[in-house]
Amino acid sequence: MISDLWILATASLVAVACSMVGSFLILRRQSLLGDAISHSVLLGIVLAFLATDSRSLPVMLSGAVLIGLTTAWLSDQLHKTGQLQSDASIGIVFTLFFAVGVILISLYAGDIDLDQECVLYGEIAFVPFDTVIWGDLKTGIDLGPRAFWMILIVFAAVLASVVVFYQRLQTVTFHPTLAVSLGINVVFWHYFMMTLVSMTTVASFDAVGAILVVALLVIPASTAYLLAKSLKQMLWMAAGFAELAVLIGYALAFWLDSSISASIAVSAGIVLLAVVVQQQFYQRRLRTQTAIQSPLSAN
Amino acid sequence: MITLLLKTPASIQWFSRHIIRNRKTVHQLILFVIAPFLLSFSWSANAQLNIVTTTGMIADLTQNIGGDKVKVTALMSSGVDPHLYKATQGDLRKLLRADLIFYNGLHLEGKMQDVFEKMARKKPVYAISAELPPERLRHFDTHPDPHIWFDVQLWKQAGQYILKMLSQHQPDARKSFEHNAQRYFQQLDDLDQWVRQQMATIPQNQRILITAHDAFGYFGQAYSVKVMGLQGISTAAEFGLQDMKQLKDVIVNNGVKAVFVESSVSPRFIESLMKGVRAEGHELKIGGELYSDAMGLPGTPEGHYLGMVRHNVNTLVHALSGEAQ
Repeated sequence: MISDLWILATASLVAVACSMVGSFLILRRQSLLGDAISHSVLLGIVLAFLATDSRSLPVMLSGAVLIGLTTAWLSDQLHKTGQLQSDASIGIVFTLFFAVGVILISLYAGDIDLDQECVLYGEIAFVPFDTVIWGDLKTGIDLGPRAFWMILIVFAAVLASVVVFYQRLQTVTFHPTLAVSLGINVVFWHYFMMTLVSMTTVASFDAVGAILVVALLVIPASTAYLLAKSLKQMLWMAAGFAELAVLIGYALAFWLDSSISASIAVSAGIVLLAVVVQQQFYQRRLRTQTAIQSPLSAN
Repeated sequence: MITLLLKTPASIQWFSRHIIRNRKTVHQLILFVIAPFLLSFSWSANAQLNIVTTTGMIADLTQNIGGDKVKVTALMSSGVDPHLYKATQGDLRKLLRADLIFYNGLHLEGKMQDVFEKMARKKPVYAISAELPPERLRHFDTHPDPHIWFDVQLWKQAGQYILKMLSQHQPDARKSFEHNAQRYFQQLDDLDQWVRQQMATIPQNQRILITAHDAFGYFGQAYSVKVMGLQGISTAAEFGLQDMKQLKDVIVNNGVKAVFVESSVSPRFIESLMKGVRAEGHELKIGGELYSDAMGLPGTPEGHYLGMVRHNVNTLVHALSGEAQ
């Protein structure tokens, strides 16, 4: 019972944090950045390991966040100075980083189990077992899962940034040229956003594994994009759809005895599909109603 | 009406129409979310020790020692590759309800081993390989080889560790555990003898076992068989072209008659090897399917450990000694 609650709480925090960050990514047409980071972190892990000779989690996480930021920066540079499409430049950078990571492993760390599956990606079903204990191992107070606390910190950071800097982020996202003429430091806000993305994805990878994070970054935000009329509405809806996917997904995993993260990802897809179908239906009905009523209103 | 419809955002309408107004949906949602919690309570406490193991082999060993005093569940069903196993929601429930957990250790379970080590702070969780003599363990570069169950004597030692832990957790049933263990260890000794006799019927220079991955290292060490594999110790790693060529040379030079496929590893690696060797004009056949990382279906003779080893040895002898078939 308590384990189910911890899993749901962790998944919900991941879901809401990812959906908020994902909304901005979608509006900036960079929604595959999360997927890109999930691959390029390999290079970050390897470099961090080679630099410190340690496989501890803080080292791996800082390496991963830094390389995530570098991925965002380099693909942006390629897009701007190299005149390449933004999706193509993301694709170039993360495959390159991943490949360099693979080569470095075979050169320097061949006989050590070092890959993102092994040292970074978590499994959400096992979240309740890895707890933080205050004080002595046997007698200390159990504070709950480590993944939960970490994602809570990241969630708080994302939420605070979005609430406090809402106006800035909105201007920079929708009217970059206006922002420049208003004297807003667009470059700073761009990297501020990228830092949030990198931090959120890496912390979420550690808590729940890669597929779920990529799915939660893209799907709930896209669902909200179909319906929302303003940025504020989109953020609220994305968070709502993400949470809905978590709840349905967990029930699905329970019912089918399947992988929790895969079930949540599938539920997010089902919710999106339901909204698309509903919207089609609604639009068609609106059209027919207008067709019937317009001769009357002309009178 | 139309203007009103147009003014309110579609989304809000959708929410109000389908979520808030429809009480039934809300109730169903609550039911789905709360039901898991309630169900996790509904287990009755009984005298049987509830034991969860990772592989079917460990479950079989534990069941044979524990007898009717224990209820054993394996997380990985037959045919599942332990290196690539993914946990499900049900597995979480099984682990939570277990009184005792046994896993293989030596990194057979991959990242799950870290989880087990953390769980051991609160729950009795034991690696059955924990007290094996280090000099009996094989190593693959720096990694230990986890496939200990193919050396029957080594498996018996793992059984002794299970016996020790079971008796420690249920001292009143100690007599019963020891009785069961004596009987089962005798069966393991007989099996060990039988395997030795059977392997002796294969000519020395023909005792080469070639499979897709290196699961049979302990088997080779215990029963003097030369074991070669296409993949490394983990089924996740890919093999290189160089490995393929070396294997081909060994097969052609030694006149090896058969290679083997495994129940839990895709046969396509072995099939491509066969094509390569046949292209060089050497006759090679698939000797049969060996059980490596998982046992057969429950209810079949290969569904338990003794039958699984017998099946493997029979398959080997038939294919390599060139008698039957």
